[in-house]
Amino acid sequence: MRLYRLVLAGFGLAFWLPAMAAVLNVQVLDDHGKPIGDAVVSMVASAATAGDPPALPVAQTKIIDQRRETFLPYVEIFRPGDRVVFRNSDTTRHHVYSFSPTRSFEMVVRPGRSTAPLLLDRAGIVAVGCNIHDHMRNWLFVSSAPWLAITDAAGQVRFDAMPVGKYTVTVWHPQLSPRQPPVERQLDVPADRADMKLPVTLSLLPDPRMPMDHNRMQY
Amino acid sequence: MGFRVRLVAFLVAILVIVQGLTWLLVFEVTRHESIKVGERQLASAAEVFVNQLDDISLRIANSVQVLALDYALRESIAEHDRATVLSALRNHGRRVGAARMLLMDLDGHISADTGSADPDGRPTGNHALFPFPELLNGVLEHPVAAVVAMDGHAYWMVVVTVNAPQPLALIAAGIPIDDHLLANMQRLSTLPKNIELIASTDRGPWKVVARGDRHVPLSAPLLRDGKALPAAPVLVKVGGREYVALARPFGRSPGNVAMAVVIGYSLDEALGPFRSVTATWLLLVLLGLAVGAVGAWLIARGVARPLEELADTAARIASGDYTPPPPRRRHDELARLADAFTRMLGAIREREERIRFQAEHDAITGTPNRVAAEAIVQRDLATTARHSGALLMIGLARLPDIVKTMGHTISDHLMHDASVQLQTLAPGQLVACATDSQLLLWLPGAGRSEAITLAFRVRDALGRPWREAELSIDAAPAIGIALHPQHGADASALLQHAEVALFAALGHEDPVSFYEPATDPHRPARLALMGELRQALDGDQLSIAYQPRLDIAMDRIEGVEGLVRWNHPLHGPMGPDEFVPLAEKTGNIRHLTRWVLASGIAQLRQWMDEGRELRLALNLSARDLDDADLPRRVAALLGAHGVPARRLVLEVTESAVMAEPDAALKVLQRLAAQDIDIAIDDFGVGQSSLAYLRRLPVRELKIDKSFVARLGEDREDQAIVRAIVDLGHRLGFRVVAEGVENSTALDCLRDMGCDFAQGFFIARPLEAAALRDFLDPP
Repeated sequence: MRLYRLVLAGFGLAFWLPAMAAVLNVQVLDDHGKPIGDAVVSMVASAATAGDPPALPVAQTKIIDQRRETFLPYVEIFRPGDRVVFRNSDTTRHHVYSFSPTRSFEMVVRPGRSTAPLLLDRAGIVAVGCNIHDHMRNWLFVSSAPWLAITDAAGQVRFDAMPVGKYTVTVWHPQLSPRQPPVERQLDVPADRADMKLPVTLSLLPDPRMPMDHNRMQY
Repeated sequence: MGFRVRLVAFLVAILVIVQGLTWLLVFEVTRHESIKVGERQLASAAEVFVNQLDDISLRIANSVQVLALDYALRESIAEHDRATVLSALRNHGRRVGAARMLLMDLDGHISADTGSADPDGRPTGNHALFPFPELLNGVLEHPVAAVVAMDGHAYWMVVVTVNAPQPLALIAAGIPIDDHLLANMQRLSTLPKNIELIASTDRGPWKVVARGDRHVPLSAPLLRDGKALPAAPVLVKVGGREYVALARPFGRSPGNVAMAVVIGYSLDEALGPFRSVTATWLLLVLLGLAVGAVGAWLIARGVARPLEELADTAARIASGDYTPPPPRRRHDELARLADAFTRMLGAIREREERIRFQAEHDAITGTPNRVAAEAIVQRDLATTARHSGALLMIGLARLPDIVKTMGHTISDHLMHDASVQLQTLAPGQLVACATDSQLLLWLPGAGRSEAITLAFRVRDALGRPWREAELSIDAAPAIGIALHPQHGADASALLQHAEVALFAALGHEDPVSFYEPATDPHRPARLALMGELRQALDGDQLSIAYQPRLDIAMDRIEGVEGLVRWNHPLHGPMGPDEFVPLAEKTGNIRHLTRWVLASGIAQLRQWMDEGRELRLALNLSARDLDDADLPRRVAALLGAHGVPARRLVLEVTESAVMAEPDAALKVLQRLAAQDIDIAIDDFGVGQSSLAYLRRLPVRELKIDKSFVARLGEDREDQAIVRAIVDLGHRLGFRVVAEGVENSTALDCLRDMGCDFAQGFFIARPLEAAALRDFLDPP
């Protein structure tokens, strides 16, 4: 419903300020030209923009499901003040933990149960693992950036009604090497452009989530 | 070295050489094969080792990885709990066998070091940064393991990420590569016992970092020549033992250390089974040697023994024993040799018998020859100890003439027939052939009478004229007989004496003659005398006896005949008949004659001085008539003594003259020319040749005493003597009768008109002094 209103508001803005807004398509690809999903694209205006940034939505509670020893989704974006619930849809226990300075916790989730909502009050990246299943990884991206989205399976993110102005675009992915500096792009949205494309290429480390290969595993 | 020893030595040597060469061949092949096997094993062992090392490395990495997942460790790292982190690192390090554990951030900044001198594990000095940054490049993607050198030691350095769950830090575990690690690996697998790990840091020289439990410095000979490791297996010698060694590099990247494993394959161990086989082999060879030697010895003996027997047989044959060797049950070459030997033996025996027969038998008559006969007779005498026996020697006097006129064929026939006849006459007795013309007959046990009986029968049988192709041949047999034991103790003496008797018989009318020791001129005793005669001539053992000679008509002693005598110190007085014939044969007669002449002429001188008118007759031998010097010598003697030649009469026998008639005639003529009277002695019994007599310068004839002895009774003798006297007178000779022993004979002689008489009836031979007494009776 809130999204719907937001969309409506966007339409309204577009209607009202047709020359002052643009659509931004961010395409995230890897070294081999393959689309990268689960990449978090965040944008902040580096200077004054022609329009106001979109208002932050009200605090929400998002569910991270644990199904077939996998956190779903892999990456989830949060706004400070949001809450997260870990739900166990497996028949095994999961020992969810995080040593992240942003939010450290440790909880055992019995099968079919969910944790109590956990408040994410600070912006930051929370790496979540399961102490029982090493391959289970989950990332909670807590950010207050006005523009914040996760690429889809096609590696694409679309931002509508981008006001004319200059932006700093940051692309993050869990498999980026921790030794590399953050991937940032300076973006200039001119007034005469209604449709913009931002291709971003990332070098990723291998996916640490081990796919469940029951043919190879004897246990 | 005998045949056996040589054969055995040969076989043993062959066996030893062949076995030795075979052993050498097998050893070389085995060794070669062992080297190849070793090379193959080394190659695979090297692969296995490297794979194993990779496995170990992976296992260690996994172990370290698991450590890194430890929740408490991660928690303490996240919470920067240094003490806990350090102790956990130590704890986990022990679990994986790491000597050193490091905790560092993702960029390699060390935050905790279990090997640090700092009690809190903080890195000291320049150890704040991980020294092998190249190892960290891919560590976020996967664990990294590499061989590194640290503080002079080699380590497996394993670096893993600590995920919480995002990469939070790095843990490095350093596992020392040392003898202990190798020992562990060797315990877990079938790695070669001889193994070494060598390392080269930053392309520096290779150093040994670990050795297997054998601690064989295999790499030393490999690295001696330089840095480069041989790519292929090489043969090295370490501590007197041989190894095939292979160096296999591994673990080059991404560490700073090149490593290689050197593994050795001990040839000595590989040949170990062969060595034990060698011992067995040696035993077998020795056994084979013993069996071979014994076998060879036996075979050699089998060959050598018959050969030795043959040699013994040959030695026996050489000594005259022809017994054939015992037959052997064999069918090989030796048997053929033995057969040939036996056949040869038979042939030799046969030939020898033939040769012996020929040697012992006369070819013509087929009877034993003289040598064989002597042996047979001697054996007969020795074995049967006979007390008597007679040996007859039959001579065929005409045989030489028959050979000359009619050839050997006839004479051989004659001899053969004669021997056959002898065998007929004396069946079973020994008949032998002594010479070409003499046969022997041995009558064992026979005495004088049997011998003479048989002798006459033989003479009659052989005396019959032998007819051959219109010829009538008289063989003129003569027989000499020697009796055992009186004529000879042994066969040799019997043969000799029978022959002497035969010679005597040949000269007589009566062709059968017994041996007469007294007249045997060949008696050994007489030979001895001859030596002594020379001494007698020099000394005064000889003397002359003078036998007076009666002038029958005047009835007075007209002269004397000088007869030499030998007063032998042992045998006593000996007459001339006893030693003159021997002196003639031994060449002493001339000395004797000179002595006699000298003595006689000296005596004549003495008689002249005494006023006696005696003539002296001296005997000359046939040998003297050969002496051309004799007349001069006589003349010299006569001259020296001043004796007229007519006082000397020199007597010669008819046979002496007839021996060398021409020479004798010359000597006699020269003597006669000196006015010396020459007389023919023993006239009537010799080969009187009136033709010669006529030519001889003879002045006297001396009638042989055999005609005179029985002159009184025997009318035939009377007729002969009368004829000789008449003949002598008619030829102008004076006639002397010898051997007058009685008055009847003397009367007859006187009646016949014989000139002189000589004999015992008139006087015996007298010494010079006795003659003086005889002539001048007191």
